[in-house]
Amino acid sequence: MDTLHQILSFNFLLRNSVYTSMLIGFACPLVGVFLVLRRLVFVGVALPQISSTGIAVSLSLPLWLGFQVTPQREHALVFIGSTLFSVVAILVLAFLERRGRGLPEGRLGTVYVVAAAVSILLLSKNRYAELGWLDLLKGEVITISNFDLVLTAAALALVLAMLSLFRKELLLVSYDRVFAITLGKHVVLWDMLLYLLIGLTVSMAVLSVGPLIAFGFLLIPVLTAQTFARNMRQLTIFASLFGGVAAFVGFWLAYQWDFPVGPTDVALLGFIYGAVFLMRKIWPVQKV
Amino acid sequence: MNISLSKHVCSEPFITFDNLSIGYIGQPILSDISLSICRTSFTAILGANGSGKSTLLKTLLGLQPPISGYVRFSTPDNVPVVFGYVPQAVRLDPLYPLTGFDVVLMGAYGRVKPGRVVPREERFFIKECLRAAMAEEFAQKKFSELSGGQKQRVLIARALATRPDVLVLDEPTAGVDAQATHALLEFISQIHRERKLTTLLVTHDLELVRKHAQHVIWLHGGKVLYGTTSELLSPEHIREIFEMEIS
Repeated sequence: MDTLHQILSFNFLLRNSVYTSMLIGFACPLVGVFLVLRRLVFVGVALPQISSTGIAVSLSLPLWLGFQVTPQREHALVFIGSTLFSVVAILVLAFLERRGRGLPEGRLGTVYVVAAAVSILLLSKNRYAELGWLDLLKGEVITISNFDLVLTAAALALVLAMLSLFRKELLLVSYDRVFAITLGKHVVLWDMLLYLLIGLTVSMAVLSVGPLIAFGFLLIPVLTAQTFARNMRQLTIFASLFGGVAAFVGFWLAYQWDFPVGPTDVALLGFIYGAVFLMRKIWPVQKV
Repeated sequence: MNISLSKHVCSEPFITFDNLSIGYIGQPILSDISLSICRTSFTAILGANGSGKSTLLKTLLGLQPPISGYVRFSTPDNVPVVFGYVPQAVRLDPLYPLTGFDVVLMGAYGRVKPGRVVPREERFFIKECLRAAMAEEFAQKKFSELSGGQKQRVLIARALATRPDVLVLDEPTAGVDAQATHALLEFISQIHRERKLTTLLVTHDLELVRKHAQHVIWLHGGKVLYGTTSELLSPEHIREIFEMEIS
């Protein structure tokens, strides 16, 4: 319990990491709901990895172009790189998914491993990049500055606001595209907005907690909530709560036993999913 | 090419196909369709798989542009026509945890601006639509857990919730058992009669068409035949059509 008091203390050295993990934990499932329901889970796997390649490329730019950057500019650069790569990637991948040609799983699998390899290769040969970036890509939640925390909170607040405001349109175009068109909705426009929000959330998550946790939070809380949710409201709220609470408990456990935070969070999410799944097998949900 | 039977006269055309050619880029499926669908009529679009039913429907709904020609609607002041579209229930993903009410509520989304909450009167109207479709008891049930016939009733309620000018049903009996199919078509006919709603039913079931539709658009062997049900689906005429194909 001592460690819990330490973590909750305002003077806790890693408090920004706790807050950021929780923000990511609450926010990722909100967009993850759409990835799961649209059956774009494999896009959810590849996207954080592509986002991390965006970070690696941004950090390599000064080396390639022969200029130096201050730490603040470096953060701005990686934010732009990560977001740009995420948004462009999801637009391209979703377009290819919708065309339905070729083997989407194979394509996404290839993108995933190549993106992961390129990220590590680029950073391992980059003398300008902080050592911490490599740790981040491996799933370590490192020290997060006040500026990063505020940036993450602001970006995720924007995502939450847009999702709440345009919930009915995003749900309609996801669920029944043809019906949405007959109602005169601009489905491409709404798709673009959704993909932008997913791209922004993923890039913020990868920047703060790395691709491993980002994907874990995008997918597992949604699958967990799906085992018992009776409607969209329950699915969204419970998925978000699972994510946020798991982020906090995961951090606590990692701090207590000196584990890396990322893998602890993801393992905890996996354990919760397994437990809820088994409970539902033993006590099935009563049909209304 | 289309053949309109001479006896058939439309007093008040609502939908007009004017030299319409439909298909995909460079690949017309049906060409030079010219016919008028009467206001408040119950018209079936009949044809085998691959005959062009879906393409005609997509063109009508504005999902796909025609290769040439026009689809015109006779609405006052050229107000855009509102479609009450009923898809095949099997086409909707069961992964979404939506209740019957959630699905029908989507029918009101065309009238509620983005970013706005669905007002109370619209929610009240949704309940009325569920009642009209005899689907009230499915409002709080998960849509994916309903039977084929129950799902179609919910989807008809959703179509009614759009306050439609035209009810368009795309093979609504696909995946529905024989008894439920009969009940469903009786119900659709009743709605058509009571609301005087222009109704288009896409199907390949000749018996359903014979029993319920007033007019038929029959897509057969690249031809479009149009007429009343009694004249087009008479045994002599059907024999003539098939003989024409064999010769």
